[in-house]
Amino acid sequence: MKTQRTRLALLLVMVLALTGVLSACGGGSDQAANGKVTISFLHWRGEDTQTFQKIIDAFEQKNPNIVVDMQTLTSDQYQTTAQAKLTDGSVGDVFASFPGAQFEALAKAGLFTDLTGESLLKNYNANLIEAGSKDGKQWAVPYQLVYNMPIYNKAIFEQYGLTPPKDWDGFLKACQTLKDNGIIPIAFAGGDIGPGQFMNTMVMNNEPSEDIFTKVESGQAKLTDEFWVKTLTQFKELNDKGYFQPNSLGTKDPAAGALFIQGKAAMLASGSYQLSQNAKQNPELQQGLLAPITVSADQAKYEGVHTSTFMLAVNSRSKHPEEAKKFLEFLSQPDIAAQYANETGQNVTLKDIKYDSKELNIAQEWADKKTLFQPRYTIVNAENQKAVTNSIQAVLGGATPEQAAQDAQAIIDQQIGR
Amino acid sequence: MINRKLLWLFMLPGILLYTGLFVYPALSGLFYSFTNWDGVSPSYDFVGVANYKDSFDSITFRKAFMNNIKFMIVVVVLQTVISLVLALVLAKNSRTHVVFRALYFFPAILSSVSVGLIWSFIYDPSIGLLNMSLQSAGLDSLMGSWTGDAKIALYAIAFVQIWAHAGQMMIIFIAGLHAIPGELMEAARIDGANRMQIFGRITWPLLAPSAAIVISYTTIQSFKAFDLIFVMTDGGPNYATEILTTYIYHLAFSNYSFGLASAGSMIFLVLLGILTFFQFRALRQEGARG
Repeated sequence: MKTQRTRLALLLVMVLALTGVLSACGGGSDQAANGKVTISFLHWRGEDTQTFQKIIDAFEQKNPNIVVDMQTLTSDQYQTTAQAKLTDGSVGDVFASFPGAQFEALAKAGLFTDLTGESLLKNYNANLIEAGSKDGKQWAVPYQLVYNMPIYNKAIFEQYGLTPPKDWDGFLKACQTLKDNGIIPIAFAGGDIGPGQFMNTMVMNNEPSEDIFTKVESGQAKLTDEFWVKTLTQFKELNDKGYFQPNSLGTKDPAAGALFIQGKAAMLASGSYQLSQNAKQNPELQQGLLAPITVSADQAKYEGVHTSTFMLAVNSRSKHPEEAKKFLEFLSQPDIAAQYANETGQNVTLKDIKYDSKELNIAQEWADKKTLFQPRYTIVNAENQKAVTNSIQAVLGGATPEQAAQDAQAIIDQQIGR
Repeated sequence: MINRKLLWLFMLPGILLYTGLFVYPALSGLFYSFTNWDGVSPSYDFVGVANYKDSFDSITFRKAFMNNIKFMIVVVVLQTVISLVLALVLAKNSRTHVVFRALYFFPAILSSVSVGLIWSFIYDPSIGLLNMSLQSAGLDSLMGSWTGDAKIALYAIAFVQIWAHAGQMMIIFIAGLHAIPGELMEAARIDGANRMQIFGRITWPLLAPSAAIVISYTTIQSFKAFDLIFVMTDGGPNYATEILTTYIYHLAFSNYSFGLASAGSMIFLVLLGILTFFQFRALRQEGARG
């Protein structure tokens, strides 16, 4: 009995001691005794930590008095918990933000340090970092770049004497040629990412404006307006003419990708992020990016759609803003950004980057073209976003464009009413 | 008296766990359902019952609720019938029967996320096993867009739910069958009763307690199904498979509407409570009769 009690007491003491040690670890220790300053770098790209660690090592060598402590969350977690963590200023002296809803929320909470006029901005392609500006000030710099445009198989296009069409008639004609030759014109993942990706290029010239969906969300424009009904009608046209693979609504991303990689489909309605993955599975593949032009050639204002994300910023609650800015400047050096791009297979928003791989260069060709920031991302409310992409699914499932637009608008009206 | 107090001490761990993991979250959910909290900001406002009103008015909530009911009815009816038939066929303790029982039970030990992923591939319209088999069997007309057609997607998932859990329910029925005294069957047979009569007069009435357990368990399980739908369709196409749990999830984690999602959860809690109440009553009645 007695030994048991002593044992229990010992266990209790050990548990208490452990708790003490752990809580000591959790405490902030940003100013170490040796005069070094520790800044925290918070982001969600767990898959890039190895590359970032190399960059951090190089940075620390150059700045021996600064230690960079990198923390990553999964992107889901990041959406939900980042703001709370950033608010108390203990982590994320330098942090990344998603464009759209999260950027707006963080800006509203005043967590961004104004970067307007900083020399590091000169390294970026001005058109591609607009997602990080608001009210005329640059709050964050988007680092990664994706083109949300269909990928096409250059070899198949060449075989049938096709080039990326310049207008809607040309696009339909190209699809018909492919179909006549037994090739699926467009592999479309209608079950998951398809509508959300393909809608961007489909709508960009039907309503060539940067804020059409902002207007829809505030009630100034409606999905039942000409631009969206026309977009839905064109989706229906592609579907009715059999330019998507059969039963496209039941197809998911990997299956649609497989059709393209195997050369059964000539186009894949996804985005440039898929290029290197495709090349890995079929090194013979010759890929390019194109966008359906849904109007006549002279009315086409945009050539494609881009998304700039992983928006880097300095926390306004940071205790070491100078050191944090220094790290951001380091990340903004073209050679460092190139290292990041080439090691991770991501395009970046900076100018004059030398890409090693064929796939990154395919996207790079689009840097100087007239591209629109992804319209879907400008829909801030996720329920509205879903209503919009679901109206595409409704049309592909047999509903009329007018009916589908009306149903989606009804949901958006409810959101406006709230 | 001292003994009484000591007994409370033994209940303490359970009470603490239950309070910490169930009562507290439920109460804080109730609290947030009256606010417009977005899940991340430190501040929020009280909005009264607006969230409840918005939920009941919401087009998506109504769709989700109707889908929930449809899903539940299909799963409860089919799963109960199928597991009962399997149990009747495999009740005898022969070696082959035991092997088959194990086989039918097998899906129940897989995680539902794996089940969802496996069936997503089987259902794929172009490269999926189901359509390919139908094609090679010359049954092209039966090929379908299983999870892509808004009219059948919910039932396609219901089928997977049944596939995954019928074996589990079969075990409960088999246990119930084994509890029926053999003499009753023998007596009935001597009296000249045929198979249908034996089932109708003896097996089914004595199996009623097991049936009640199966039905109540299946009802709750199918009502709060989440993982299969989340993995296979995530509520699509065009809300065709959106049910209350996915609706709440989407509100909270992709729309940052924690207040509204909390109100949805509270409504869901009440619905589940009502369901459980009626089932317990039914169970108790069955128990009293048995």
